[in-house]
Amino acid sequence: MTEHPETNSATQPPPDGDKLTGLLVKLDEAIQLLDAARDFAKPGKLGRVLDTARRVMMQPGGCAAMEARAEALETAGLFLGSDWATPQYLVPSLTTHALKSADPNSVVIESLSELRLLAVAMGDYRHPMISAEQAHHYLTQAMALNLWLLFGAPSEAERETQGRLAQLPRLLFQHLAERIGYEHIIDQLIDEIWRILRQRPLQVEPVKQMITQIAICQANPAIDLGASGQGADRLVSSLFGTTQACREDPGIDIYRQRLESMDQSALQYEASGFARAMHDTGLVSPYHAVLMRHLLEHSDHLLAEAIGLSSTGRDCLLCYRELVHALIRSGVYPATPQAIYGLALMLERGILYQPPVAPAMWRQLGLTLSEWSQQRLSMAHGDAVSPRARLLEGVLCMLGLPLGVGQGNNPTCQSARALSMWAYNDPDYLLQMVAWAARDDEIVMHFEGQPISSRESLSGVATELPMDLDAVSLLVVPHLDRIYAEMGRRCIGREGDPHRWVNPEFHGWWSGRGFRINVDVATGQLDGLEDFLRHFYAAYHPYYNGNQPLIHPQPAGIAVTDSAARFIGWHAITLLRVNLDPQDVMRVYFYNPNNDSGQDWGDEVKVSTAGNGERFGEASLPFEQLASRLYIFHFDPLERGELATITQQELDRVIGHVHRSWGADRVPATDLQASQGVDGA
Amino acid sequence: MTKDPNKGYIALLGWSLSAIEAAENFDRRYVVVAPDWAEEYCKKHDIPYVSWNFERLNDRSMEIAETLNEMGVDVAIPLYEETVEWAGAINSLLLDNPRLYGQSLLLRDKALMKRRAQLGGIRVGIFEEAHDKDDVVRFLKRVNQTLLKLDGDPNDPIHLKAFDKAGCLGHRVIRTPDEVDTIPDEEFPVLMESHLDGWEFAVEAWVHDGKIVFLNISEYVTLGYSVFVPASPELEQYRPQITAQIEKLIKTFDIEFGLIHPEYFVTSDGEMYFGEVAYRPPGFKVFELLERVYGFNAYQASMLVFDPKASAEEVKAFFPKEVEDANGYAGCFGVYPRRRVVSRLEIPEEVEDHPYFESHELTPPMEETVTKRTAFGTHWGLIYFKGEDPHQLRDLLKHQEDLDFYV
Repeated sequence: MTEHPETNSATQPPPDGDKLTGLLVKLDEAIQLLDAARDFAKPGKLGRVLDTARRVMMQPGGCAAMEARAEALETAGLFLGSDWATPQYLVPSLTTHALKSADPNSVVIESLSELRLLAVAMGDYRHPMISAEQAHHYLTQAMALNLWLLFGAPSEAERETQGRLAQLPRLLFQHLAERIGYEHIIDQLIDEIWRILRQRPLQVEPVKQMITQIAICQANPAIDLGASGQGADRLVSSLFGTTQACREDPGIDIYRQRLESMDQSALQYEASGFARAMHDTGLVSPYHAVLMRHLLEHSDHLLAEAIGLSSTGRDCLLCYRELVHALIRSGVYPATPQAIYGLALMLERGILYQPPVAPAMWRQLGLTLSEWSQQRLSMAHGDAVSPRARLLEGVLCMLGLPLGVGQGNNPTCQSARALSMWAYNDPDYLLQMVAWAARDDEIVMHFEGQPISSRESLSGVATELPMDLDAVSLLVVPHLDRIYAEMGRRCIGREGDPHRWVNPEFHGWWSGRGFRINVDVATGQLDGLEDFLRHFYAAYHPYYNGNQPLIHPQPAGIAVTDSAARFIGWHAITLLRVNLDPQDVMRVYFYNPNNDSGQDWGDEVKVSTAGNGERFGEASLPFEQLASRLYIFHFDPLERGELATITQQELDRVIGHVHRSWGADRVPATDLQASQGVDGA
Repeated sequence: MTKDPNKGYIALLGWSLSAIEAAENFDRRYVVVAPDWAEEYCKKHDIPYVSWNFERLNDRSMEIAETLNEMGVDVAIPLYEETVEWAGAINSLLLDNPRLYGQSLLLRDKALMKRRAQLGGIRVGIFEEAHDKDDVVRFLKRVNQTLLKLDGDPNDPIHLKAFDKAGCLGHRVIRTPDEVDTIPDEEFPVLMESHLDGWEFAVEAWVHDGKIVFLNISEYVTLGYSVFVPASPELEQYRPQITAQIEKLIKTFDIEFGLIHPEYFVTSDGEMYFGEVAYRPPGFKVFELLERVYGFNAYQASMLVFDPKASAEEVKAFFPKEVEDANGYAGCFGVYPRRRVVSRLEIPEEVEDHPYFESHELTPPMEETVTKRTAFGTHWGLIYFKGEDPHQLRDLLKHQEDLDFYV
């Protein structure tokens, strides 16, 4: 710090404690001004409060001082007119973005909101809208999600965008952790990791990072975790010390040496240890890859054991022995361990028995990647292994876990859905797409007989090239996105929603050509809701469609709502199954290309991802609740039967959900009058 | 606040949230006269409002005066330079005094203003109107000849100002004939003035019944950058002379009531030169600074002295005693980015940690490349300081010019 000789000659900078006291006097004055101002004048007084609060929080003891003023700040109108005014609807995962912001005011207001919730959680501030328990819950989640703030120094990127401000969230989280206790954070984080892992995403890097954070925490003698963190052992060990021979995380080379000197039974022990951990968590240790390559030289029996195969998978392995060996040789490295899990599940699915799949896999093994594809893969996933091996890992994972495809942070839900659907329903078509994209840098699809080349189509839905994707999506999505957008462009001028024509052409012949939508495209108002629902029941609900299980995955459109049931946007999903769940409730099981399907859509509609009969990667809702968020579905026009005779009661329940959520401001005037009439009667 | 129906009903011309807030907390009825974009906001917040688009005066101009008259409004207060002649026109009807309109025109045109001042025996620098670039070159040469400069001596600069804009808008300094070419044609006509080496300061004087009821001297540390109130003792020692000058100004311009905001130079021999005078609140948030040190709201002060129903006793009770009643010195500094490319706002630590530092109104940069400043330009936001010692505050304000707030 450079002191100007003139400016500070008269006064010496006061010691830190005095500095805080001085700042607090200014802060209290600013809060008082804000409090006194009329609502319209409050925005003008905010800047001074936020700026002074920022300086206070940068001082030792500053966060505690702000916590003590939390109620005064909120009463004065600090959060007025912003999302923070309704803390019951705040979403913990959004804190990360706010705290990383380059705008000091965003960082400060987010921090003050956390401190306010801390005061609520501690029982010092009785809040009209959120309980102490809820506040506590929110804070532990926010901390678990931002663990990097507790234990990491600012990254280069943070320093670049935030400068000294990067210190503020760290001081805040230290204060939060001291008040709430580290043990709560860790347990919450562990639950969170398990919840995500139960959905078996293709991309496990973020989860691995969180597990690493816990491991670091556990190893740090300065952090007292108390009785917490017990559940972390399985997670940590699945990555770093899965079996007896790698318990202490000795490093790849030492482990390889140890394998050399093992006999059959010791290897058997290692193999089953890895397989158990892998199928338990969906995570694969790099040591597992070392073992796999070692076992190639031993027996197929041990190999099957190490992949944890059932009799189905074992049959498939033995049938396609050469191919599986080649896949392991080219795709399984310590840097690509997830390939093992993908391979395991692919073998279990038995898709190699479909005639085109095995030869297509051989093509994949020998595929020459274009310059562009190699660059993209290295850029996004590093160059620890060759781009070809990285892509092979991606292909195995996608074929093994078709419902693990995520769209990343991109508006490309349609493309992600298509990839998932092909991997699930038409695996050799997917392999064809991968070959075209990776080798030729071009995909050609047909729309109503006309070819559409991804190379000639100008732009996609995404304005930037997406990077945060799995290896297959990384190469294929840019092409699909452009083709999808071009199909949409070719529908310009047609009446109604373009998905009617685009969906079947884009996804595959099995998408029903029949199409229903319950929103009038021109006005955005609800249109023929009752008929729409009766028809949906008739087409999909086993009680009304002659007990016919859903055959092919069907694209559908939903209106996504937030935890306050407010409309957020239109979103693409795949309907997969409609069954009775273990509690005998009729449920729709579906795929959501969003990265985390466990979402709260408000009005008691909470999407479940485990515990209600879901398979890995499936999301589910009771039939009525799913129907209440649905706005588009497809059906086979030849099978169109009678509209379902659902009871008015059930229909009213669904319509009630619609009207209380995304449909609230879309009810056409006539409907409204009708319902008023009913109410009045 | 509850409104007293026996006191004046006031129209605020132009949109200023600070003024509305002050009016809201004052005991007089008020109405905001602003363009139609303000309507929704006023409805939402229950702010009394009349829609009017202030363009050039035209045939329809009487409409607004009549509307306000019918509403029972007593007087209109201009908040911006652009609404000064509107206030003049409206008040000449409301107060039944046609002279007020002529007076407002005089206060709107810098050339007319100077001539009137000159006629009133007030000292002004050399000035002239320019209609094109040749006029500027001629004036520059003549001024420097008058100053007995030889060829090759560095020229004394001249100042160019738009006739009818507030403060530093369109203000340029010209030193050489080459620089004349950088002036865009659309800026003409302009007023040219010789440069006066001296101490520039501004005054805010509230006038009631033809007499000064409160006179503040605002000391500029650097014109266009920084100002503080009250002025340092060195400048305050001229208060008797300054007061005499203002009284002369009030007489010359025939001002009965309102707030005037003139600018002066005092040269090293103690001579005062008149720069210009505005009939509206000053820029650079001097009102806020005054409230920080004196505690009274300067918008309310203006409403009071404009109000024809205000009594002399009420006015006397409202204002504190100049300088004596101030509880310190408050100043502000206008930040201009110093680098050509900036990525974020970062207040220097030494500023934030200074005990005089109060707050700032800077916002993160919207664009990375800083537009090159033509003329004086607009600052990116203000920083506020307050402290006990005027000299330390002055040095502190000066020192800010050497710091980077945008990096």
